[in-house]
Amino acid sequence: MIKVLKAGLETSIQDYPGRYGYWNQGFPPSGPMDSWSFRLANVLVGNLPGAAGLECQFLGPTLSFDADAVIAVTGADMRPALDGEPFPMWQSVAVRAGQTLALGAARVGGRAYIAVAGAFANEEKLGSRSTFNKAGVGGIDGHSIKAGQELPVAEGGGTPGLLVPNEHRPDIRTDRSWTIEVCAGPNDDWIDEAGKERFLNSAWTLSAKSDRTGFRLEGPEWTFTEKAYKKPKEHGSLPSNIIDQGYPMGAINLAGQTPIILVNDGPSMGGFINPYTVPSAAFWKLGQAKPGERLHFRLVSVAEAQHLAKEIAKRCVRENLVNA
Amino acid sequence: MPKRLLAPLPGLFYRRPSPEEAPFKQEGDAVAAGETIGLIEAMKSFFPVEAETAGKLARFLVQDGETVDADQAIAEME
Repeated sequence: MIKVLKAGLETSIQDYPGRYGYWNQGFPPSGPMDSWSFRLANVLVGNLPGAAGLECQFLGPTLSFDADAVIAVTGADMRPALDGEPFPMWQSVAVRAGQTLALGAARVGGRAYIAVAGAFANEEKLGSRSTFNKAGVGGIDGHSIKAGQELPVAEGGGTPGLLVPNEHRPDIRTDRSWTIEVCAGPNDDWIDEAGKERFLNSAWTLSAKSDRTGFRLEGPEWTFTEKAYKKPKEHGSLPSNIIDQGYPMGAINLAGQTPIILVNDGPSMGGFINPYTVPSAAFWKLGQAKPGERLHFRLVSVAEAQHLAKEIAKRCVRENLVNA
Repeated sequence: MPKRLLAPLPGLFYRRPSPEEAPFKQEGDAVAAGETIGLIEAMKSFFPVEAETAGKLARFLVQDGETVDADQAIAEME
């Protein structure tokens, strides 16, 4: 059992790849936004890469352990401390019963991950332990963790003293600037050439009005092809309106002139166009970007996006760990 | 060394409770311990920046609406 002393900012139990198979009924997959860091945390403590762990957002939790455990902290640097002493990240570490792990505010990156050997053993809902906070599904009682809660942990072994070498970690930017891969479509034919050029060549600012549902972007104007204007009135009145359609996860959803990237807890359908889609291989960058940071988009093919995802998966294996 | 108020988390710093309202504090104002001097917006939510101790707010070190990092100095207290 791990007791929550301070919850942090919407800290939640997630597993990977999350709640798959219910998108057609409106359930998003949820899961960790930076699944690269998340999987490495699990691999460090001897779990399967997708086992249930904690996602900490911008401000981390304080947890006390009532039993000995092997744990690992990866992702954003929230300056973790064990009983007040600096706690090494990207390593498996043995903690003793009675010790307290405290994470602070994110200095580098946005989201940190905590894995514990054996993994969290909250009840599965629709095949996943991931928390979908907005609908109250998964996690503990459907929501982010709260102070005073006790988080169940399954029996696990785990070897302390293992380390993820630098070359297998994600490169979390410190210059406030990210290059995010995008695939064209499904509705790129609604944007004219000038609009496409502006999208791909401009710096977009990540709004603070962003969360695990959507990442709102601020930037230049969108302009449209004839298709956006010459359409039956059922499509709606705005150029970016389309008759309700299914949305892919990662869709850059154009609400009027405001693009919103639909992320892990996003909606499965609606009446706006999605000119571009961020592939899963680039989601870790969204998870580590902070409000006010700049996003640049780089067009890739679906094959290239799939290759990137495979390359990330290859890094998240035990064989890559070294002794600390 | 003047005491500095630090950002409790990364996000956007605002000096006002809402765009239509007056700033929480002006430079030179007295501030009570625990009083809110601004807000930080992250994940669609606003978090107060509070003075740890009573004193005078000497000056702001970041502009209204500016991006701040965790632990970035927001204001100087005397």
